[in-house]
Order: sequence, then structure tokens, then C-alpha cells
Amino acid sequence: MNQQNGMELRKLLKQTITPMTPTELQRDLWPEMLKRLDRPESVRVPWFDWALAALLSAALLLFPGVIPALLYHL
Amino acid sequence: MNRHTYLRAYMAGITVPTILLLVAATVFCVARYVYDVPVPIERVIVFPMAVVPNLWGFWNMLFIASHTRAHLAIGLHGALLVLVLGPLGFLLTRILDFPAPHFVLRVLPVGIPIALAVYYLAWKYLVGFLNGVLGIA
Repeated sequence: MNQQNGMELRKLLKQTITPMTPTELQRDLWPEMLKRLDRPESVRVPWFDWALAALLSAALLLFPGVIPALLYHL
Repeated sequence: MNRHTYLRAYMAGITVPTILLLVAATVFCVARYVYDVPVPIERVIVFPMAVVPNLWGFWNMLFIASHTRAHLAIGLHGALLVLVLGPLGFLLTRILDFPAPHFVLRVLPVGIPIALAVYYLAWKYLVGFLNGVLGIA
């Protein structure tokens, strides 16, 4: 009786648990990783900073007297 | 790369004002000794030469130390430095009896927002870049 139960349990488990798909990588990912590391990072400047830089340039042109004070504080 | 984080932060911080000091010192020297501008710049030159770079370094160390808790953007953190350096620089000119040129004093109210913007951009793009290069941000 116990042996029969065991056989049945084994059968049920085999039906329930699907066999594992192959987990082996299809290709080597390391060369791509190296390429990504070597790629130069591009700096994204948001529109707000462009606007600020433009305003800043205009302000420095309008008030050049600020430049010596800025140089003193930089 | 996690070793000496604060030393690297200090070095990244002082780089920008140290490079800009070359420009500032050249402008001051040319103004003083070539064009004979009657302003005793040498009296206050210690401020941009020593105080400013060191405070930038210290401020960057503070940014690294507080970033995990405060989450303040580096640009805003840098802009806050104006609120420390501005009064400090002004105080030094008073202590050393430095006669600031009249045209500079006249544009001082405009100078504060301009300085905030300059510091914001410099910290966000220059110090931020250096922090990235040194692997601390």
C-alpha cells in the first residue's frame, strides 16, 4: 500500500512540476559589457540649466561690475 | 574604491576654484600692475587663494557626508556655499580695510543671484563630474 502511494505521489509530482528550461547563456555577454563601459558618458543638460546659463550670460553682459566680485569669490 | 572617500571629496572640491584661481589671479595682477588700478588687491588675495578652495573642498566633503540623509542635489548644495562665502568675503574686506571699488558695490544686489546661478552650474556640472571621476557620487 505504501509503495503504491509512493508511486502515485511520484507520478503526481512529475505531472505538476514542469521540467526546467535550459539556463545556459546563448552568447557571451562580457564583450558587450566592456563596450558599454568604454562608451563615453553623455552629459544631459536640462532646458532649465540652458535657460539659466543664457540668463547668466546676459546678466554678466549687463552688469560687468559683478565679474571682479565673482572672481574674488571663486 | 571606498577608501579615503572624504579625501577624494576634498580633492574634487578644491580642483575647480584652484583652476579658476589662475584666471582670477591673472586678472587681478594685470589690473593692479599693468593698468595700475588703485585698489590694493594683494591685501585680500588670501581669500580667493586659500579660503575659497579649502571651503569648496570642505563643502564637497559635507555633501558626501550628508547626501545619504539629506538627498540634496549637488547643484543646490553648491549654491548654498554662496551664503557662506559671500558674507565671509565681505567681512574680510571690512576687517582688512579693503576699499572695494564703487562699481562693484553698486551691483552687489544683482551679484547675489548671479553668484547663486554660477555656483549652481559649477557644482552641478564641474564638481559633479569630478565626483563621478573619483567614484564618490
